[in-house]
Amino acid sequence: MDDVVILGIETSCDETAAAVVRNGSELLSNVINSQINVHRKFGGVVPEVASRKHIENISGVVEQALADAALDFGEIDVVAVTNRPGLIGALLVGVSFAKGLAYALDRPLIAVNHLEGHIYANFLENPDIEFPVVCLVVSGGHTSLVYMESHGCCEVMGETRDDAAGEAFDKVARFLGLGYPGGPAVERAARDGQPGIYQLPRVYLDRNDFEFSFSGLKTATMNQWNQLKRKQGFANVNDLAAEFQAALVEVLVEKTVLAGLTREVNSILLAGGVAANGLLREQLASRSREEGLRLYRPSMDLCTDNAAMIAGCAYHQYLRGETAPLNLNAYAGLDLL
Amino acid sequence: MIQFGERMARILKSGDIVYLMGELGAGKTTLARGLARGLGYQGRVTSPTFTVLNIYQGVLPVYHCDFYRLGEGDACDLGLEDFLEKDGVTLVEWPEQMARALPARGFAVRILLTDNDYDLPRIVQIRGLGNEYEARLEELKTVVSPGN
Repeated sequence: MDDVVILGIETSCDETAAAVVRNGSELLSNVINSQINVHRKFGGVVPEVASRKHIENISGVVEQALADAALDFGEIDVVAVTNRPGLIGALLVGVSFAKGLAYALDRPLIAVNHLEGHIYANFLENPDIEFPVVCLVVSGGHTSLVYMESHGCCEVMGETRDDAAGEAFDKVARFLGLGYPGGPAVERAARDGQPGIYQLPRVYLDRNDFEFSFSGLKTATMNQWNQLKRKQGFANVNDLAAEFQAALVEVLVEKTVLAGLTREVNSILLAGGVAANGLLREQLASRSREEGLRLYRPSMDLCTDNAAMIAGCAYHQYLRGETAPLNLNAYAGLDLL
Repeated sequence: MIQFGERMARILKSGDIVYLMGELGAGKTTLARGLARGLGYQGRVTSPTFTVLNIYQGVLPVYHCDFYRLGEGDACDLGLEDFLEKDGVTLVEWPEQMARALPARGFAVRILLTDNDYDLPRIVQIRGLGNEYEARLEELKTVVSPGN
């Protein structure tokens, strides 16, 4: 088969991103608008949740992705874009741009689900992962366990009922004055602390299903902080951060391993921004090893939002003939996986 | 808080806006879940902090927004005016983040902690913004009792 060069575009949330991937695994470029060179090009624009910013950024980001890949527009075989879920105004910028480009170049257009894209970050680096697999998708907006029978066949086994794990990290970090983004801030503080000195709940760990809930853990952490301050006038923020992180990670790890064993898979995949958390990577690696499961996780820069994962996912959709019409729309909704 | 929301939902109608205020962990999303339940939606009601907008299809569509991460300049990105004009009820968490961009009408609900303790019951204050909603506070008292 001939090479397939795919340009991926991602504007579902805060980042404007474009990437070029050959044959689903060969990363030719990967540009995210928070990257320093694009910043300079656009006068230091800080990425925000605003379609206006996506509009300002998208041409430059796409051109940069082609320049980094040393390709012309004519050498792109397929245009892929995230069309769900996300902020509707933000999604529409990428979708409209991709449609225009696909039409002008007379190339097929492929619509990608952002969450499925996160999962496919794993296949970029390990195209030969054996199915079936269970994947933990864990980010600021999502906490889901997904079972995949084969490429493109995703079944959501369980999700969060309230806050996503990344959101709990951010909000606890802000409450404890640890800074932003919350994930790395809590992780840093936890390194100087000890879990177990304070006690926080492992929510839903006793349940034999794959649902998550992190709102209660967030509130319990804040409550413990307030109570310690009131009763003792002092609380060790590092110890509390360590216990919070341990409680959250233990639930994620045990539920994921249980999901893998229940579905009798050989491999576990990790995806999404929280996959960059060191304790989660470490604990999931060690528990997977104990249970005889093989663990795959993307390298750090492919965990957070990017367009390489969109192009990678689109490659497998392209092989299945799943192209999108030029009247493609964008959808804010979450329940489309 | 769920029950409170379910009761309050009885007097909500298409085009209504409910602003939900209160610090982290106060119970804004839980109250939104109750309101959505009361409006006939039984599915998952999760925090829209990262997604910014969740849409639930109940008897009426419910637009559940959260402006925690946003600033004043981001209002046009949401298509806010689009769904405010449509059928449905709009619930807004952290409206303070873009107060000037939001319509000055609706129920403003503030959830307060007692003694800064998350284990104790909450105090809920409701104000009517604009003449219509001020007048409807009386109707609200028929479904939720003050001081309870």
